[in-house]
Amino acid sequence: MSKVGIIANPVSARDIRRIVSHAGNLPINDRANIVLRLLTGLSAVGVEDVLVMPENGGIRHHLMRSLDRETRMGSSRFPGVSYLDMKVTCTAEDSAEAARQMREEGVGAIVVLGGDGTNRVVVSQCGDIPVAGVSTGTNNAFPEVREPTITGLAVGLAVTAQVPPEHAFCLNKLLEVTINQVRDIALVDVAVVAERFVGARAIWKTESFRDLFVTYGLPEGIGMSSIVGLLAPLDRATPEGRRVCLRPVEQTDWHIAAPIAPGLIKVVGIGSVETLKAGVPYKPGIGAGSIALDGEREITFDDSDDVAIGLRTDAFRTVSVPDCMTYAAQHGVMNRGARHAFRSAQKEEILK
Amino acid sequence: MSENPFPLEKDALLAAYRRMKTIREFEERLHVDFGRGEIPGFVHLYAGEEAAGVGIMMHLKDHDRIASTHRGHGHCIAKGVDPADMMAEIYGKSTGSCAGKGGSMHIADLSKGMMGANGILGAGAPLACGAALAAQKLGHDGVAITFFGDGASNQGTVLESMNLAAIWNLPAIFVVENNGYAESTSVDYAVASDSYVDRATGFGMPGITVDGTDFFAVYEAAGEVIRRAREGGGPSLLECKMIRFFGHFEGDAQTYRAPGENEDNRAHRDCIKMYRAKIVDSGVIDNDELDAIDAEVMTVIEDAVQHAMSSPMPGLSDLTTDVYVSY
Repeated sequence: MSKVGIIANPVSARDIRRIVSHAGNLPINDRANIVLRLLTGLSAVGVEDVLVMPENGGIRHHLMRSLDRETRMGSSRFPGVSYLDMKVTCTAEDSAEAARQMREEGVGAIVVLGGDGTNRVVVSQCGDIPVAGVSTGTNNAFPEVREPTITGLAVGLAVTAQVPPEHAFCLNKLLEVTINQVRDIALVDVAVVAERFVGARAIWKTESFRDLFVTYGLPEGIGMSSIVGLLAPLDRATPEGRRVCLRPVEQTDWHIAAPIAPGLIKVVGIGSVETLKAGVPYKPGIGAGSIALDGEREITFDDSDDVAIGLRTDAFRTVSVPDCMTYAAQHGVMNRGARHAFRSAQKEEILK
Repeated sequence: MSENPFPLEKDALLAAYRRMKTIREFEERLHVDFGRGEIPGFVHLYAGEEAAGVGIMMHLKDHDRIASTHRGHGHCIAKGVDPADMMAEIYGKSTGSCAGKGGSMHIADLSKGMMGANGILGAGAPLACGAALAAQKLGHDGVAITFFGDGASNQGTVLESMNLAAIWNLPAIFVVENNGYAESTSVDYAVASDSYVDRATGFGMPGITVDGTDFFAVYEAAGEVIRRAREGGGPSLLECKMIRFFGHFEGDAQTYRAPGENEDNRAHRDCIKMYRAKIVDSGVIDNDELDAIDAEVMTVIEDAVQHAMSSPMPGLSDLTTDVYVSY
């Protein structure tokens, strides 16, 4: 199977965090350029078909202009590019619909341009199709920062089975949130805040923070999970989660300064820290508020709602880019030309 | 009564509803009366876009100034201009906001900080820079907001103003009201830089996009943008994605729209219906209170029309007044 999906939604990374923090804006033409670099990587290792989410924010125009130019110049470094047939709403729902359709089309993997929010939307719909994130979002705790050309190579090697699945893919944790039987997910963090309206979605008012659940938190992480990363770090693989009860700073002596958004380091009050066990439903620490999934308020609740938050392990697959490239290096997958002689020389070098 | 979950007190929630409803009924009435041939000139209606104008203007005071567009009725009402004065102006009567000499596209009321609707696309942006510079020099916390559509965003005046606002760090806010069509040309075709936010980035100012049909999303985002400007943080750009219920102008056949688009928008993307549902569902406000406002608004609009119709036209001698300003 050598078809790959690419979801690059121009509406990602446009929210209020550019005002309330110092989150950046990746211009549309740069996003198109990232897709172009992905395509070169995919093509170089034999991917022939790429299915792309349609949008009308300009990425397609820039991409097609570049591909036409390259074709005129005689380049054959690109796979065939086709667009899904779907209605464009200019919202995050486009990412969800594209993920559904790509799953039906049986792509080998979906590459997602975006941050934690866009990856969350895609994972919620893509079933067992592996995803590979390219960090172009506001908070990028989930997608790793990496040159897209390399992500393209790794995804190509994975879907063409030049790297075996046991090396190419890894399983990830997620958090499930159910409100009155309606399910949603978060890949990194679920934050419960006292504000009871969704509004502009982002969360930045630390005085309203009440509860935090994470799948992992790395000391070098950004966003809400950085609180865990700095208090009681947890990696992506360990089959447990963390919960931190958050308090207004004046109500506790336990404070931590954490980078809760790009360019925004705030002092947060801590109540307690505990381990989350997989499969156990947890209740939020307050009776009414809103729930932010991977950094954005999505749902409001009050005492009349039945809310549960739970950790699931081995929940979805991602392409492990470092592992793919390591395997490729160790097995000479990228070697060309005098391959045998080169590999022999490599071995001799190592044996020395 | 339930505890209020919203970032506005109950009185402000009701005031926002009243303003949005007043805009809607004002425009609905104009749609009818224009069709009857009662109104001179052209009108461009704001119906469907109320949450954006009101969500922003709820943060403003009279010393904050706005520069509007050809589609200016909503901005006027949201900024506090009297609907009766506006209606008389649109009817071209001497009791109008500008003595009947401006009409729909030139309604202004400086006492309310409304510097004018504007028949020239993109012409409001330099005015807002001037007002912002004045606020900066006078040392008060006023801000200036210019509204423009996705079409006017391509005008050189807008881009020059963004440059000026950035280098002088003016308390100016550039609001793109993106309803998807520049008159009848889809934004997909006509905006080469693809994203308005990218344009802001090009001038070194932050830009954000917000769902302009969601009052609370606009209110919260606008609050932060305006606070930033008041505190000396300089200009920024706010793109509101919104829905226009009527054509570009009254009489526009709207052949550029998909079949059923208008009906679908009215049924599912009506910002006032969505706002009403949220505040009623929260238990803070009940339907009776809103129905009472609806009735009052209908009376205000009817009175405004009667006032406009019964007012005199400007006389011949008025032709030579208000031509030059005396200092």
